[in-house]
Amino acid sequence: MTELLVGTKKGLVVLRRERGGTFEVAARAFPGEVVEFAIRDARSGRYFASVTNGQFGPHLFYCDDPTAKWQQAEGPAFPPGANAAVERIWVVEPGDGDGVLWCGVAPAALFRSGDGGKSWTLVEGLWNVPSRPRWDPGAGGLCLHSICPWPGDPKRLAVGISSAGVWLTDDGGETWRRGVKGLVPRYLPEESRHDTHSHCVHNMKRAPRQPATLYMQFHGGVYRSDDAGETWIDIGSDRGLPSDFGFPLAIDPHDPDRAFVIPLTADADRVTPAGRVRVYETRDRGASWRALEEGLPQSQAYLTILRQAFCADSGKPLGLYFGAQSGEVFGSANGGRTWSTIAARLPPVLSVRCA
Amino acid sequence: MPRVILTGSIRQQAGGLGIVEVAGDTAAVAVRELEEACPALRGWVVDERGSLRRHVKLFLRGAAVALDAPVGPNDELHIVAAISGG
Repeated sequence: MTELLVGTKKGLVVLRRERGGTFEVAARAFPGEVVEFAIRDARSGRYFASVTNGQFGPHLFYCDDPTAKWQQAEGPAFPPGANAAVERIWVVEPGDGDGVLWCGVAPAALFRSGDGGKSWTLVEGLWNVPSRPRWDPGAGGLCLHSICPWPGDPKRLAVGISSAGVWLTDDGGETWRRGVKGLVPRYLPEESRHDTHSHCVHNMKRAPRQPATLYMQFHGGVYRSDDAGETWIDIGSDRGLPSDFGFPLAIDPHDPDRAFVIPLTADADRVTPAGRVRVYETRDRGASWRALEEGLPQSQAYLTILRQAFCADSGKPLGLYFGAQSGEVFGSANGGRTWSTIAARLPPVLSVRCA
Repeated sequence: MPRVILTGSIRQQAGGLGIVEVAGDTAAVAVRELEEACPALRGWVVDERGSLRRHVKLFLRGAAVALDAPVGPNDELHIVAAISGG
């Protein structure tokens, strides 16, 4: 069975497909509420959903069966001394280590759970970095949206913040340093780019088979790092992409040379370019990109795909799935060679993850 | 003791409880006592700084009030989701 967790503006939709069948809505949870993100921790089988209630704020829930009752986690919530309140829970990421998970929120902060996601504690080391008062929000708020654990080393972690760049730790979150060398914030005047804290990371993923390799979709730019996020190499310019602006990013967990992006036209026009929905694939670490479009709308399709709304599974061949604010979800069971529409009329899609 | 009146989705979150008797002489204390009585409501009415959530309203004796409003022993404090959404 294939299971997809689709966070939408009006609830969580669980899509399931039996082998050889089509995707069906197996469950809908949190009806009417904004489900920003949902994921299943493959180690424990536990599901998580980040829910922003329009009146009563953001809360994290978990369960072992998404068709049954969900329980509210203890946190993430800032401790009294932080003088802050969680505005939005952007991402939950299984970590390296028994029961360890990470959670990224707005305002930009990282939380850690050591009990399988039932309770959460602020990572004070990142919250207290001296430059934090100078961090600027992106259009979606000052958010920590990308968390990249290092398989086999629970002390190493990279996180991406819009728009405060990449932050790296080698000691489990006690101390942090920035990893922004090579990123070019073209949205700033040239003379301001050198000494800025405004690095608008849109998405970041680590290649688990080669953990020093990271891919990034930047606010104008696609980058790769070969040194665990210390420095970044432009892989978006003049290599076959119709635009280097966008949010979605996925990688092949089996192949560190292979990544996927879904470009949007531009900063000022955040829809699929030329009315065509195309996923772009690199198989050579970003030296070249090619369009994957068979089965995707190729005319009059101006879709917006958000940063958490694209994912790859761990299958061979690779499964790829993404959802749009139009309420459509598309999927490929063959690494992007062909695509089909697997849900056509959902509420605006905010996130898609394979369970 | 003052009573907190819950309706709609917050009543659901409280496990269906519509009326909760609480101690306290201000709305803030009443809300804190409510959270003690119903831990599932922690962070729902006020955030972790103790600030009333932007789209939550408190009503006392027919008027909207702030967290520092005095609450008497016979009062009913209504917690209401504001008319907002999208």
